[in-house]
Amino acid sequence: MPDVTFTVDGKKLTAPAGTLLIEACRKAGIEIPAFCYYPGLSLQAACRMCVVRQEKVPKLQTACTTTVAEGQVFTTESPEITQARKATIELLLGNHPLDCPVCDAGGECELQDMTFRYGAGESLYTEAKNHREEQKWSPAVYFDRPRCILCYRCVRMCGEGMDVWALGIANRGSSAIIAPNGGDHLDCEQCGMCIDACPVGALTSDTYRYKTRPWEMNHVSTVCTHCGDGCKVTLGVRQVDDGAEIVRGDNRDKSGINGDFLCAKGRFGFDFVDSKDRLTKPLVRNAAGTLEPVTWEHAIRVVSNKLKEIRDSKTENGGGSSIGVIGSNTGTNEENYLLQKFARTVLGTNNIDHIRTTDYAAFVRAMAGHEHRAASLRDTETAKAILLIGGNPTEEHPLLAWNIRTNFRHNTARLYIATDSPIKLERQARQTLSLPVEGYESLTAFLSGDDSALGEIENAKTFREAVNAEESLLVIFGQEFRGAAIESLVKWGLAKENVKFAYLGDYANSRGAADMGLSPDLLPGYIPVTTPGAFAEEYPNLSTQPGMTAPEMLDAGCRGELAALYIVGSDPVTAYGTDPAALKRAFVVVQDIFLTGTAALADVVLPAASLYEKAGTVTNTFGDIQLVKKAADKAGVKPDFEILVRIAGGMGADVKKLVPFGRGSITVPAVTAPALSVDFVPTPRPIPSLRGIHGDLGQSRGAHSGEADRHAVWLAARGLELRLSPFDPLAALDEIERLVPSYKLDRLNLFAGNDVHSEPGFVPVASLTAPTAAELILPAHDGLFTSGVLGDHTKALVELNSYQESISQPVAEAAAD
Amino acid sequence: MSIARNIAGIAKGMSITFREMLEPTQVENYPDGPGPLRGAKFEQRFRGKHELQRDENGLEKCVACFLCAAACPSNCIFIEAADNTEEKRISSSERYAKTYNIDYNRCIFCGYCVEACPTDAITHGHGFELASLNATNLVMRKEDMLVPVASLTAR
Amino acid sequence: MSSAETMSIFSPALSARFDALVLKYPVKRSALIPMMLYAQDEVGYLSDAVIEEIAQRLDLTMLDVRNVASYYSMLRFKPVGKYNVQVCTNISCMLRGAYDIFEHLEEKLGIGHKGITADGVFSLEEVECIGVCCWAPAIQVNYDFHDDLTNDKVDEVIAAYRAKAGRADAKGESANA
Repeated sequence: MPDVTFTVDGKKLTAPAGTLLIEACRKAGIEIPAFCYYPGLSLQAACRMCVVRQEKVPKLQTACTTTVAEGQVFTTESPEITQARKATIELLLGNHPLDCPVCDAGGECELQDMTFRYGAGESLYTEAKNHREEQKWSPAVYFDRPRCILCYRCVRMCGEGMDVWALGIANRGSSAIIAPNGGDHLDCEQCGMCIDACPVGALTSDTYRYKTRPWEMNHVSTVCTHCGDGCKVTLGVRQVDDGAEIVRGDNRDKSGINGDFLCAKGRFGFDFVDSKDRLTKPLVRNAAGTLEPVTWEHAIRVVSNKLKEIRDSKTENGGGSSIGVIGSNTGTNEENYLLQKFARTVLGTNNIDHIRTTDYAAFVRAMAGHEHRAASLRDTETAKAILLIGGNPTEEHPLLAWNIRTNFRHNTARLYIATDSPIKLERQARQTLSLPVEGYESLTAFLSGDDSALGEIENAKTFREAVNAEESLLVIFGQEFRGAAIESLVKWGLAKENVKFAYLGDYANSRGAADMGLSPDLLPGYIPVTTPGAFAEEYPNLSTQPGMTAPEMLDAGCRGELAALYIVGSDPVTAYGTDPAALKRAFVVVQDIFLTGTAALADVVLPAASLYEKAGTVTNTFGDIQLVKKAADKAGVKPDFEILVRIAGGMGADVKKLVPFGRGSITVPAVTAPALSVDFVPTPRPIPSLRGIHGDLGQSRGAHSGEADRHAVWLAARGLELRLSPFDPLAALDEIERLVPSYKLDRLNLFAGNDVHSEPGFVPVASLTAPTAAELILPAHDGLFTSGVLGDHTKALVELNSYQESISQPVAEAAAD
Repeated sequence: MSIARNIAGIAKGMSITFREMLEPTQVENYPDGPGPLRGAKFEQRFRGKHELQRDENGLEKCVACFLCAAACPSNCIFIEAADNTEEKRISSSERYAKTYNIDYNRCIFCGYCVEACPTDAITHGHGFELASLNATNLVMRKEDMLVPVASLTAR
Repeated sequence: MSSAETMSIFSPALSARFDALVLKYPVKRSALIPMMLYAQDEVGYLSDAVIEEIAQRLDLTMLDVRNVASYYSMLRFKPVGKYNVQVCTNISCMLRGAYDIFEHLEEKLGIGHKGITADGVFSLEEVECIGVCCWAPAIQVNYDFHDDLTNDKVDEVIAAYRAKAGRADAKGESANA
């Protein structure tokens, strides 16, 4: 669309023709109030708050439906318009209960704000208000009818945004009411998007209901700990006796990778943090064989002495190679990096692995050397054509599903789906292909031109023609692809121009765990341990012998060949079905937030902080890296990072070698990567001396400051901030950036709270060895209300899950249009 | 001339002294006076220790809206809210204050909380004997400030 | 639609009519309101089963159907009497004594607004303008108008319907024959 020039309040504005006036004004900093208008949803023009005066038009016009054209002249504020808005608010308040002091939305209510701005102190309406009792629609959603202003945002959000169509409007006129599809309850995906969209307090959430007020909380934007999409979630945090408790999760800060979206897990699934089952004291197995609470000092001493003894033992069952380390899918990148560095340099073993839910190693192997071919999650919102093979994003990757729906709605993106069972996204698909369960590899062959591969399937050929005819394509594939299957699929795509790839995996930082080298044969950045001289400076005396995988470690432990197992944030005994009794002979240390199956048989259990209680970075399944900020706090627990540093210190290791902190330590890599955005100005580095540089050392950058501190961001981005503590994860990030080829980060963006894409294409092809066995991959396949161990301990999700099962009927069919 | 003026000045001053000596005493006889207040007298407007009021049904007026805490310039009010249920009804609205603490170490008796209160739940009483040798005693809990139900029926 | 046809709760004639109706409009859901009206004429009211089948025929959710239906007061979710007496009380009728007639009917039938007599023959309803202003006051019984009414005339009308209902019962005819 060509740009047009028009006048608003005497200011000349320019915008593409056809832009909505309200959007054009907001971009120019002119605020036009509106209740029913919600960017991205269909237009309603129901609230009449956005009325403006257009020259030569007899009546006031709604800015939310007026499109701009050349030469138009608008007035957005005048006594006439103020009077019109005042009248609108008076009508809205006609049956509004005005119970702001108890209403959950009080303090962040758009109706309240508008009443302050335009509303009259008195009303002409003296009739008695029509009171209705509050209704509980589901374990997540409450509806308070008199507060509703009938803006239809929830109806459109649920229908258009979520494609669930669970809300509608019943009756008419003054008795019109928002109605749920189950009559008196909601039969839907329980995402809570209606609550977020509601401009008033008509829709409220069960988890936050009547708990506190918005201004009483600190709002910390961090990354959701559940699935692999990495949505930004804003946690409302309040101080309590034993730390800081999370009282609310929502999407108040819409600046994240997820835009407007947040699913049930991000919104309601935070109460595991305050679960009664949380470990808060270190436990050591005593002579009687039971786990006994001890002090942190004692526990660390026990672990470091024992590990040191085993490492230095010269017997057959001793030395570093008799220690196994298993890492986590939910820890930060820095913790995972530190864990493998600790294993490889302090313990001296390559027996390091994690429970692999996704074959990222094979994916990166296939992508190595091909820059700009890995898709960011943001690409799914704008891609012209998407080929989805396997997986069920609606259940397992709600944000991806949201992005695809949004893309379909706004850009009429062409979606092609090939799965073995029907999925909900097929409603948006241009073409679908139903594959046999084992037919994914045949699909690759078929797409590459082998007609016999899928010959018998009816529409296979038209499907292939349509896909091949696309000029650009985003290929998203699920965990059905592993090992060689990934390689052949990626090879097919790489042969074409403008094809990008994304691989769908579980958990908040599974990708990071793989990237950070939690594998027996690969160093951080997928550099094989067999590479001679790899990381020589940082990892002296590195063994070039690949270690054991996680199942091998457990088997060796059962056979008595492994003297110690060090497990961080995972439950391999349950995952691999190991007999707990057989592991008795090994010294098992577990760092976790709950007493899992593995922790129950451990000799030492160390209570760890959850992802909401620490800082660092995580990488989502698309390779987008985001900053994790500390929200909650719990007495007794420590972040994995700190625990590892303390144990390494206890073992007599040089902590400064392990975590490069302190004066003179800052050597930020020279920026060579072409992928960085232009506004990142590289500073000359390494910085020779830090004498005289004094940053803001955290006064305004505490865990609860809530807002981004631009000064601190600037310092951190340029590597000028002092790394004063060995417990500062950012000290490890410096080294990660230096050593991991795909992590050439735009730090200014990262520290400002934006997502930064990693580039697997930077991984040198030559460095990669043969793929690991595909059967090591154990996909979790968590649905909308499950999230591994965390989900089991999240009361809100357990309740939602059982509610969903109790309303057995399937989600209602969607409307046709 | 100056001597006469000085004597006149002294005489004028002393005349006030001697006149006042013959007037009745104006000083309050606190704490040895009669009555429950032991001789202390107040204007109605005096801002003393807070009282949390009840409505005519004996339910607490406070609905835990946190506006007093928001208005407080010395940040001395701490509230935790909770849900009223059918079985256990504390206030007349959906929500009540599970915890309501005022830290009198910090309170400056400015009265902003009273002005902010939308339900007239918090008022200034006339209590002034707030001195303590132990600062922790000065954090008053809801039970310390709540008007007893008995006083409602007596009224 | 063949599956809907076999399981249809409507008569074969109505079912066939619906099949044609659905194809008549560029968007299926345009057929919603006529379908609800015809279904109500046949079944008497919009039962859950009716709503479910209409939703299925139009690829809508039951919620969509309910939301549209609840907008219109002539569509109802509860059964009414065999003869649904609708008394207009808008301005023309009101000025000509519609409320007298309404109260007379209430007394005579022993039921109030939206009530049904115990034998299920009559139900009474106060409605907005039915378009017979020039011969006010007027009532509508099912689809038949009775205008220029007085209390005596109302008695005659009611007596006629009662006799008709009695005859129908004696013959054992169906209600809407």
